[in-house]
Amino acid sequence: MKLNQTQVFLLVAAAVVVLAAGPLFLPPFYVRVGQLMLYSAGLGLAWAILGGFAGYTSFGHAAFIGVGAFTAGLVEAKLSSLPTVLLLPVGLLAGAACCAILAALIAYPILRLRGTFFAIAMLGVSHVCAEVTNNVDFFQGSMGLNFPPIAPPSMDPANFFYEIYLVAALFILLVSWQIRRSRFGAGLLSIREDEDTARMLGVPTERYKRLAFVVSAVLTGVTGVIYAHSLGYITTDSVYRDDTNLSLIVYSLLGGMGTLFGPVIGAFLLVFITQVILGRLLDFHLFATGLLLVILVLSAPGGIAGLLKRKRAAP
Amino acid sequence: MSLLTVERLSKNFRGLAAISDVSFAIAAGSITSIIGPNGAGKSTMFNLITGYLPLTAGEIRFRDKRITGMATNRIAELGIARAFQIARPFRDLTVFENVRVGALFGKAGPRDVAATTRRALELAAIASLADQPASSLTVGQLRHLEVARAIATRADLLLADEPCAGLNPTETAAMIDVLRQVRTNGVTVVLVEHDMPSVMEVSDRVLVLDAGRLIADGAPKVVANDPKVIAAYLGTPDAA
Repeated sequence: MKLNQTQVFLLVAAAVVVLAAGPLFLPPFYVRVGQLMLYSAGLGLAWAILGGFAGYTSFGHAAFIGVGAFTAGLVEAKLSSLPTVLLLPVGLLAGAACCAILAALIAYPILRLRGTFFAIAMLGVSHVCAEVTNNVDFFQGSMGLNFPPIAPPSMDPANFFYEIYLVAALFILLVSWQIRRSRFGAGLLSIREDEDTARMLGVPTERYKRLAFVVSAVLTGVTGVIYAHSLGYITTDSVYRDDTNLSLIVYSLLGGMGTLFGPVIGAFLLVFITQVILGRLLDFHLFATGLLLVILVLSAPGGIAGLLKRKRAAP
Repeated sequence: MSLLTVERLSKNFRGLAAISDVSFAIAAGSITSIIGPNGAGKSTMFNLITGYLPLTAGEIRFRDKRITGMATNRIAELGIARAFQIARPFRDLTVFENVRVGALFGKAGPRDVAATTRRALELAAIASLADQPASSLTVGQLRHLEVARAIATRADLLLADEPCAGLNPTETAAMIDVLRQVRTNGVTVVLVEHDMPSVMEVSDRVLVLDAGRLIADGAPKVVANDPKVIAAYLGTPDAA
């Protein structure tokens, strides 16, 4: 059965209502797990604008989490006299702007690379940003940066950030949906499929790739700012994480590469598996997670979304 | 009036001359075939016209506008489309979605996209395959998809690179019919093709390349009897 647009909208709206009400009935541990799911879904969706739609698999998007987080921290520290309610919006704007500038600056040289070369170059970008943040005193990467509490006094900070992550993930989902159904989105898909042919058909491939890169970077940076606030204190190691770089790819692989909901499904599934099901296995949980991923990717190369599509297409 | 003008075009690959001092003009509304042995420079010619490769010397004009050195997507926006020799479909998309990309971009931009897509599918005789994944098409159907996607850009000039290669006689006849329909709809066609009966049947004019040089240019029957063409490409029964 294929759902029409209205049915999908209603399903998403119902899911959002249930998710928004989560902190009312979930125990604190599951609120934390929910936070991580929504944070991962937001990151996965942002990554997929470049990696899923345009086919440029970045292995270094943690660079933008870090740049967004540290920019917000430094700017908010300078503007500490601002009312608390304004700190997060100011941090978001500053983090987004800095990520946009960084992405726009590196887009031209780095997007000339394709496939593995692009992935590894992005890993390099992530490591360079981490090293600069760690070793240049101005950024305070090794000492760490404090973020002022921004949750309203009447609200549990865990519940507050859960809701903020939900809003952010929903916003990124809406941006992705708009892109997916637009001319820009069709252009990105054609780039993923065959960049040279896309160009022959009149797709402005260079401009589209750069735009997708900047949008993806900005949305990743914005999520990074929220993450930093939810931690309250960050160092280089807490935001420039290679396991995050890897997870962003896994979310799309697991959920369905290039699909709208694939990164959300993948993020929810992976976080649930690692934190809830395998969380108690202590030393063995990474091994078990890896094994499970290998089995899932081998048995469902198109991800969960691909499996559902195959099932629908079957007579 | 000439739609496309190629003047003294040359292309060298590290000293190897793939195209040498070739000039010709393509009249609007015509079907012109470019023939020649393998390595004669036919596909290179298409690569130069579409801006896929930079040229070494010469000039290319389309509708009297200089397109030399222009980006490939800008050339497509002006109205030149190409159907590849080896079909390059967007495999994860359906046939309709493939052709829709052409209708969204190309010359006219995103106007009446769905209608343009459907028209192109009908013209290329693959409307019945619209909902199928491109990865499920046969070689013959993929060739039709290449043409549909190219004409969906509302191009004025279609460069078709060996559209009949590998097709059986029935499929070849269907493709020739499609190319005729494309011309009837106001699109000028330049064809690279090895299948001589098809070339003779469909072309208004034939250009013959050999080792990067233009050795003959004229009506199909005249070219077929040209001694230089017979020696370089067509051969004689005795030679066989």
